[in-house]
Amino acid sequence: MKNKQDKPFLSYKLRAALVCYSIIIIPVALLGLFTYLPVFWAFQKSFFEFEIGGVSRFVGLSHYIEYFTTDPTTYVSLANMAFFTFFAVVVRLSLPLIVAKLIISINSERWRHFYRILFLAPIVVPGVATMLIWGGMIYSSQGLINEFLRLVGLGSLTHAWLANPGTALIAVAMVGFPFIGGFEVLIYYAGLSGIPESVNEAALLEGCVGIRKFFLIDIPMVLSQLKLILILTVIAGIQGFEGLIILTGGGPGYRTTVPGLMMYFNAFSFQRFGYACAVGVFLFALIFTLTIINFKFFKSAEELQATK
Amino acid sequence: MKHKKNWTLHLAILAFAIPTLLPFYFVINNSFRSNTEMYHSFFGFPKTIKYIAVYSIKTLKGEKGTVVVRDEQKQTSQTLTYPKALKFYFDSATKNYKSAWKVLRPYFLNTFIVVLATAFGVLVFGSVTAYILSRFKFPGSKVVFYYFISTMMFPAVLTLVPSFLLVKELGLLNSRLALIIPAIAGGQVFAIFVFKSFFDGLPQDLFDSAKIDGAGHFSLYWNLILPLSKPVLSVVLIMNILGMWNSFLWPYIVNTDKKFHVIASGLFVLSQTEAAANFGLLYAAYITSSIPLLILFIYATKTFIQGMTSGAFKA
Amino acid sequence: MIFKKIFKYTSLAVILSVGTYLMWPVPEEGYVDPNADDSVSSTSTPANVKYNIRFVPGGYYYPGIVPAGIGLPNKGFYEVAAAYEKLHPDTKITFCDAMARREYLVTQLSASKAPDILNVNVEDVWPDVQKNWYAPLDDYLNNPNPYIPKGKPGSVQWWDMFKFQAISRGKLAPNGKMYCISYDMIETAIYYNKNIFKEVGVGIPKDWDEFEETMAKIRKAGYTPIQTVVGIYADWGIDLFLDQLYYNILPGIDLVKDPVREKYLQGYLDWDEVCFLFKKGFFTRHDKRYRELWKLIKRFRKFSNKDIATEDMIRGFVRGDAAMIWSSNLISYRFKADKDIDFDWDVFYLPKFTTNTSKYASGVPMCVIGGSGAQYEISNSAFSDTGDPKTSERLKRVVDFMQFITIPEQYRKVINERPLLVPNIKGVETLPLLKPFEEILKRRYTTTKWTYTFDLKFTDILSRMLLLYLDDYISLDEWIEWQEKNLESAYRRFTRKKHPDFDAMEKEWQRLAPVRKNYIDMPELPEGK
Repeated sequence: MKNKQDKPFLSYKLRAALVCYSIIIIPVALLGLFTYLPVFWAFQKSFFEFEIGGVSRFVGLSHYIEYFTTDPTTYVSLANMAFFTFFAVVVRLSLPLIVAKLIISINSERWRHFYRILFLAPIVVPGVATMLIWGGMIYSSQGLINEFLRLVGLGSLTHAWLANPGTALIAVAMVGFPFIGGFEVLIYYAGLSGIPESVNEAALLEGCVGIRKFFLIDIPMVLSQLKLILILTVIAGIQGFEGLIILTGGGPGYRTTVPGLMMYFNAFSFQRFGYACAVGVFLFALIFTLTIINFKFFKSAEELQATK
Repeated sequence: MKHKKNWTLHLAILAFAIPTLLPFYFVINNSFRSNTEMYHSFFGFPKTIKYIAVYSIKTLKGEKGTVVVRDEQKQTSQTLTYPKALKFYFDSATKNYKSAWKVLRPYFLNTFIVVLATAFGVLVFGSVTAYILSRFKFPGSKVVFYYFISTMMFPAVLTLVPSFLLVKELGLLNSRLALIIPAIAGGQVFAIFVFKSFFDGLPQDLFDSAKIDGAGHFSLYWNLILPLSKPVLSVVLIMNILGMWNSFLWPYIVNTDKKFHVIASGLFVLSQTEAAANFGLLYAAYITSSIPLLILFIYATKTFIQGMTSGAFKA
Repeated sequence: MIFKKIFKYTSLAVILSVGTYLMWPVPEEGYVDPNADDSVSSTSTPANVKYNIRFVPGGYYYPGIVPAGIGLPNKGFYEVAAAYEKLHPDTKITFCDAMARREYLVTQLSASKAPDILNVNVEDVWPDVQKNWYAPLDDYLNNPNPYIPKGKPGSVQWWDMFKFQAISRGKLAPNGKMYCISYDMIETAIYYNKNIFKEVGVGIPKDWDEFEETMAKIRKAGYTPIQTVVGIYADWGIDLFLDQLYYNILPGIDLVKDPVREKYLQGYLDWDEVCFLFKKGFFTRHDKRYRELWKLIKRFRKFSNKDIATEDMIRGFVRGDAAMIWSSNLISYRFKADKDIDFDWDVFYLPKFTTNTSKYASGVPMCVIGGSGAQYEISNSAFSDTGDPKTSERLKRVVDFMQFITIPEQYRKVINERPLLVPNIKGVETLPLLKPFEEILKRRYTTTKWTYTFDLKFTDILSRMLLLYLDDYISLDEWIEWQEKNLESAYRRFTRKKHPDFDAMEKEWQRLAPVRKNYIDMPELPEGK
């Protein structure tokens, strides 16, 4: 103790800094190795053509050129992605909000709590199992929908929903029906319960109730929550493809393929890692741009709201 | 009037809740049934459960008698007393679960090891780094913070392929480490973010008074900070467990060896191969794989809700 | 409150202990964990074993399993391995399971950890040959098989032992080397329900027009004429139809003549040539034969079952709803064992096109598209002792074992354990059930192989989009556009990687111009292309 006080202050500070560095170096190095290096590789390797164990060849922009010109799957998959994302945005911004509004309108706190938990409960089922349930139980030829159709005498309407090129796209989009994710409900619920009581009372006083209040007061007040879900849904829409591996493998044909899935196939089925990296970089650029646009656009909307 | 309105609200909510939960009802229902039973009536109630109820009542009442029992698989019939019949139907009702468990047990073990190791690593690295970044000003501390936070900008889709190549280069393919280490590296970022905002909010007086008591940094961290940050800790922990439990693609890509499957990848492989046409077994496997999180959910509902709401900042 | 807490923690403790109990890794009685070990050994390991050869025999021959779920478990390779181990006490044969996914195999190969003898489609091997992952077998194939006595096939060249030379030699890698032995043969044919044929009053068709008439009649009688799946068109249909339509013009477009292969595979168009021809407008919208090909395939498909994507095609035939099924000899075995089939069946091969079918038809008999069920390759693990196939002692022993399994006395034990695959070794009799297929295999081999040989991505796009075309979800023009783009992408990848000698081909192309003068409807590229 005595020694320490004799030493000049700077040295103590330096020593403390050194201790900090020596502790922090582990997480920093981990992150450098497992995040920054892959990010660097993603860009670098997109200019190379190589296979595991083989030689790598510099090919310049060939992969990007191939992606946008000769690869016949590119525009189909982009169109599918746009459709899935648009659909997801529409349903995830509306339906859970309605449910959250319904829940918060209930008088009893116990019921409100119960319903929130009820909608959150399905998260205990692993995502893979949920997808397998949709693919294997709900849509399959002897599945829930077809058996129901047979039960009510509409046997002629039965389809191999995910295998039929005419229905596959819609069927994939409808996975998760009725789209009431516990997460979204909780977020909207938190937003709605954050509306100050004074606003609610003022609305009541002016006779603004029911659906009118929902559109005029509630929606503007949960705009930041809507924005959050919007960003998350768009990002998930662009980079999500795990479910498709399980449900359809992108088929039939390429009717349900998205760019992320093509990236996966190029890397792990066609052994074209360089090309897959190029697709990954493109998707990153897309997400990045959309996030920035999203920020700009909604910030102004919020400011607009504030000045009202 | 108000009461009446509540009823319509309940009905409206149930209109959403029932279709959300209905598939799970059928999964549970059909997990007790064999394929043939399902083919004949998809919506029916499991026969075995019905018989279990009937014969347990008869057994409890102490009724004596025999019943002819048909084994669908072996195509044989036998005459059994009520308690024996009860046992027979109990066995056939749980058959799917037993065979599912045989397949899933090693996957469960792998998942537990991976989830716990990752959660431990993330909590240690996350809280210690956040503590240092929050409480010490040293040259470059800001840079380090941004170094961590900016990785949130890189989506998984960008790093998936190169990460695979990296893990391959490191010779970690087909090992549990391939799941644990990258997950710690990536998971700590969110933990640092959450812990740091929590530590930043703690009053400086708290630390000063502890220092006056002569506590070193380690004891300060151990005795003061960790107990204080219990709510944050549990949120980070739960979010981590949830994330690892559900992660499918990465384990599926890096570990092709059956020995190292986790539940998510194992379920998918199971549905593709051994049990592709044995629906009862698959459904039993889905249910079984949900049980651990269900228990966690029951015991930590509040933390789940908190975690979900704060997890939003992950974006 | 306190009770609630007590309850909470006791229940938690109970759950945890039950969980731990369940998780405890105690192998249950009578249950063999299929995941525990992926290899079974034929015998216990003696101490003096110098060479442990790990061998992937594949699903048809893997000892201990029952292929197609019919009959007794395989034991052929157990016996062969035991005989070999007796002959070479320093060698042990271990049987390994097939690899689940290609990436897994690739990972193993890059670490020299794969089994010594693999069983994968040799086309999958080709992309990796320059990585020194596989041992070329030419030196051994061109030299005697040491187990063969003088005067028998194989005593001069191992090669000579193989019955179906054209198909076996067709597996030559693009670099001109041989990396596999074709252990057996699979061939396709049309199975037909004799009862339905009699009822409708039709016989075996002599040409394609008659075939289509037959199918139309069958359909009128209320049966599905033929059962197929989409993969059949992508894998077999394209090559067979293409051969029928292009055979006449082959002399004018076959530009590269491989000195070794040409003897067995006349006019074979490999990928260098396909790429060159593509740039000359072949296999594009300007190629009228190509359009004709797809029209004919679609016309054929219309006689088939409604759902060619997901339906189990065998079911319709077995139940007597469909009059024919296009499949391989593998299902003969299954039909034979099926006691519930209450009709007589037989097989015939696809008939030839006539000029009535298409004005491009050459009138030659339909060629065959056969291949092997098991193709054995030797991996880099076999020469892991020196790392060089030329100097490795271990490799010699592995090859020796491979030669051993092809000698008729040993081969017979494996191949003829059940009538599943056609023997590809001379001097080994074909079981009666497979005789018709042996006859079919004597036909001329195909001139192109579109799927699985070129590029994995090309194959994926081809087989996926074909379904949409055949089921009328995209038009012929759209389909040809997809294929054009697909081929263009594949062409670029291929030329980037391999740099084919287009100059030499161009010279040959010019030289053959007079030959092509007599041909009608050669593709003409629009000006400026």
